[in-house]
Amino acid sequence: MKNIERLVHHVLLWGLALSAALLLGGLIVWAFRGGELPTTITMPPASFADLARAQPIGFFSTGLFVLVLTPFARVAGSIVLFAKAGDRRYTAITAVVLLVMVAGLLLGRV
Amino acid sequence: MFLLIFLTAVVAGAFGSMLGIGGALILVPVITLFLDVPMKVAIGASIIGVIATSSAAQIVYVDHGITHTRLGMALELATTVGAIGGALTAAMVDVRVLQLLFAIMLFWAAWSMRGRRAARRPSIPTGVLDDQFLDPATQTVVRYGVRHLPLGLGLSLLAGNVSGLLGVGGGAVKMPVMHVIMGVPLKAAIATSNFMIGVTAATSAAVYIGKGFVDPLIAVPTALGVLLGAQGGARLASRLPTRVLRTLMVLTLTVFAIQMLWRTVA
Repeated sequence: MKNIERLVHHVLLWGLALSAALLLGGLIVWAFRGGELPTTITMPPASFADLARAQPIGFFSTGLFVLVLTPFARVAGSIVLFAKAGDRRYTAITAVVLLVMVAGLLLGRV
Repeated sequence: MFLLIFLTAVVAGAFGSMLGIGGALILVPVITLFLDVPMKVAIGASIIGVIATSSAAQIVYVDHGITHTRLGMALELATTVGAIGGALTAAMVDVRVLQLLFAIMLFWAAWSMRGRRAARRPSIPTGVLDDQFLDPATQTVVRYGVRHLPLGLGLSLLAGNVSGLLGVGGGAVKMPVMHVIMGVPLKAAIATSNFMIGVTAATSAAVYIGKGFVDPLIAVPTALGVLLGAQGGARLASRLPTRVLRTLMVLTLTVFAIQMLWRTVA
């Protein structure tokens, strides 16, 4: 059980570190390349295309998207934790919460 | 401007993670009042800020085992159902009535959190969702159970409904409901509320991004500042005496209530 808690801890930590690194990287690239910044970030796959072209907005969009994903990791980890503990009721409740979260994510793409 | 937002975000992150509230009620007014930024951009930035507050603080709270994940998920489900209901019925209700209702809820929360009655009530296992954590401030293991689970679920439904209609996160209501009604120790209620607001914000984040609410010029310094502030806030909160947190909480809730009341009359 403790192992999964450690895993959740590490996923959160590395997720936030990756997000912060992308945001800081974006600032550095922006400082060197300059130029107008779009007034809104994009969702994947558009943000990945910008990132591949080393555009500052690609860094910002991807960094903020990674940040948005961190609560998903936390909830998904809890599902595994409850399932392993044999707690069917809370495995189901948490799975429904995750489903709603995923639905919200997909809603933003249309 | 970048630096100003960053510094505001550090403070909002620290405050938000210490009290288990989103900090939207701190970030939005500051960003809109002091910087010439449209409301929708401020909301977009504060959604990002809430997620950053939640995840950064959860690293600390998961580590200390203070978050009651089961309770959080049960209440989250009720809140979500309420929020969806709220979104569906939004056109039928007067916003001012809701704002007044929300202000009253916040005044009630502040009033019930104050004083010794809540402080003296012992936290004991009840057989319902019993949990325990080690309080780093006193180095004692706190064991507790949940009281009035159905009532708590009902109130979460209502809070989700109202906050869905008003576009506010609802951490300021979830926290007092858990602590005052359900008998959850203050620190566990803060950590659990902190967990829930991140889930709520992450659920709606993609929609806000899709609508073009998230301006990188505002959201990036917000995210970076909050990540820094929330780490410190969460570490500080688990070490502070409960009494100090309670006082801060009452003051903050009162300010929010007045803010909401102001919106009603303005």
